[in-house]
Amino acid sequence: MGRGVAILGVGMTRIEGAKKDQKLDDMVFEASSKALAEASVTRDDIDSVVISGCDELDGRCISSMLLAMPAGAYLKDETKVTDEGCYGVILAAMRLMTGLFDLSLVVSWCKTSEAPVSDVMRMRWDPFYHRPFGMNHITSSALMAGVYKSRYSLPLEIPARVVVKNRKSGAKNLNAHLQSPVKLQEVRTSPVVSWPLRVLDCAPESDGACALVLASSRKARELKRDPVWLSGFGWAADSYYLGGRDLSDLRSLRIAAGKAYKMAKIKNPLKEIDIAEVSDFSSYHELMVYEGLGFCNPGQAQDLIKEGFTDREGALPVNPSGGLLSSNPFTASGLFRVCEAYLQVAGNAGNHQVKGVKRALAHGSSGFCAQGNAVFILSQ
Amino acid sequence: MKTKAAIVGVGQTHYKSYHNYTLPELSMQAAVAALDDAGMTINDIDAVVYSMGPSEFLGVNEPDKWCVDAAGGRDNPFMRIHTGGATGLSAAQAGFHHVAAGLFDAVLVVGADKVRECIDSQQVLNTIWDPLYERQFGLTTITMAAFQAVRHMYRYGTKEEQMALVAVRSWGNACNNPVAHLKGHITVDDVMTSPYYCWPVKKYDMCPSSAGGAAIVIVSKKKAMKLSTRPAWIRGCSEVANTVFLGDQMGGRSEMDFADSDILAMAAKAAYSQAGIRNPAKEIQVAELYAPFTVCELSMVEALGFCRKGESGRLNEEGFFNMNGGIAVNPSGGTLCANAIAITALARVCDGALQVMGKAPPKMQVKNVRNAVCTGEGGSFQFHAVMVLSADYY
Repeated sequence: MGRGVAILGVGMTRIEGAKKDQKLDDMVFEASSKALAEASVTRDDIDSVVISGCDELDGRCISSMLLAMPAGAYLKDETKVTDEGCYGVILAAMRLMTGLFDLSLVVSWCKTSEAPVSDVMRMRWDPFYHRPFGMNHITSSALMAGVYKSRYSLPLEIPARVVVKNRKSGAKNLNAHLQSPVKLQEVRTSPVVSWPLRVLDCAPESDGACALVLASSRKARELKRDPVWLSGFGWAADSYYLGGRDLSDLRSLRIAAGKAYKMAKIKNPLKEIDIAEVSDFSSYHELMVYEGLGFCNPGQAQDLIKEGFTDREGALPVNPSGGLLSSNPFTASGLFRVCEAYLQVAGNAGNHQVKGVKRALAHGSSGFCAQGNAVFILSQ
Repeated sequence: MKTKAAIVGVGQTHYKSYHNYTLPELSMQAAVAALDDAGMTINDIDAVVYSMGPSEFLGVNEPDKWCVDAAGGRDNPFMRIHTGGATGLSAAQAGFHHVAAGLFDAVLVVGADKVRECIDSQQVLNTIWDPLYERQFGLTTITMAAFQAVRHMYRYGTKEEQMALVAVRSWGNACNNPVAHLKGHITVDDVMTSPYYCWPVKKYDMCPSSAGGAAIVIVSKKKAMKLSTRPAWIRGCSEVANTVFLGDQMGGRSEMDFADSDILAMAAKAAYSQAGIRNPAKEIQVAELYAPFTVCELSMVEALGFCRKGESGRLNEEGFFNMNGGIAVNPSGGTLCANAIAITALARVCDGALQVMGKAPPKMQVKNVRNAVCTGEGGSFQFHAVMVLSADYY
């Protein structure tokens, strides 16, 4: 019996605020080539390519037309998931599990520096009910943060401590966009962008591309590798209509996590997972993710922060790479989380490696107020 | 390939102009129709794949998120597939992969599009090309198709009248399809005297802009045996990508020619081999092809191995691709008679499945269908997807 799907290697470009000397194609080519080299395979060995990106942010209405080639798909069996990059891992893994394919590339990218991100996000709303409110990703995220904050009487210090924690980790990550630590007071006095979110509570906007090489268990055995295994994954979507949702609860994340834990045979995530890389597009969001992932009961995420449970040195380090608060290549961020989780399990994270990681969790999220969520378990 | 999944339900809305329904509403109509057809409810569905192509026709970014509730995606695994014109077939394949991976028993593949309501779809389609090189040439899908037509004429001596016959046959077939957008008994003369949009492509050589929704239900083999006496078994799946640049798709060191759908031939070869089909011209009875221009169909039937390169024009004249010919090509009228881009290729799968299941409308049904091939084409004729459906699972 196989052990599901193996990850043989990852490739990432440096994440920066603005990649002025690289076109989108160049970034994608760099990530893809690096992943192939890291996995010690060539493009000839690849029989499946799954790419993922956001057309509207790319400014092209079928973005895969130009980016399938630099991603390595020339004359290959290729398809595109148009969602958060990490959904590419799901489809690629399923394609391998059918037995029709052996070796797959998964590639995602985002170049926010050349896109009017806020406008693109506003245009995501339906024209009849939501769009007239003029909400973008930040204001809708603030809505969610506000509900969570009031419901659980969250002390203002808690989200600020999440920022300090992630920026401190980001300072160790040589690939991160923001590599400077911040002080608690700086976070708490930074300007409000949309109450209760302050500038430093929000993820920056960055440029970056990343890629993974996935193999069927048969192929991994044949190549005689000691890979990292994708032992579980799950995903789910919530309602589009914010009025119909409890914004303090990431319902679709709970469902996605449940599926991933079941597949990976995890009973107590808090004990069985060594590190987690989560999509924290705001500091408040990271707290809600703890609850969605079942690390604690609803409303108790603040206790984990107070105890330092999720610090680098804590029992379950969350975002040792610095997370989205340090680097946020938008629709590729989730795939970057999977790459970072891979590096931690493979012991290749370098400067920001956490010791003794045997099993890691990665999380990606898409849509307004985290409408869709995906969870991945990576094991030795 | 060991057969692992089948289509047990098919749903389509009428393709036309919809000013009174939103995208989620069209998605839901299609989803409900497919579930009804399968004798299932949304509670029987384990995962949803949403088929949505370019969102720019609609003017709502990432509209799949808007459709989550209407498509039954709430609390379910939900993902959107988008490969341009091939989207619907890529989505059907993704749905197949969900089931064939052993993770799900029943998957709903659904989508909708409202290209009809876009003010100028060709303006949008110009932005599919590279902003630095090809966009400036004023490339649209019409001018791109004209390139292929000219090349096919040059290489094989194909005549405009032979292309016109494709439109005549498709429009005639569409008369038997209650959901087709355009239909009617037209003549070669009608096509030949219709205005040129870009020589040699004329008005009747082109597909319309339509709106509508389509959906299929894919289930595991075990479930299919229980649910349906005659499901459409998914026997072969493949999709292949080529470079975007038209200039690189032929000439130089490229062994391919823009007249030929060589990428389709590659995808078909893989799908046929999975399905155990050795002689497609003999073993396939129905082809539902994503051919938005008449020339595309001539090029595609050659790539699918129904005849040799350059023979399709003559065979078309001889009626080989008619309803009662050797292989019925687009008995539904195909893309020339309805094109709601995001789901046009899914409609091909719907119509192919109906033929295999024996459930097509009476006059549209081809007799004794064992195998049907469905295709999708996207980008600058660069993405080609193929699915082989069969009445037998072995």
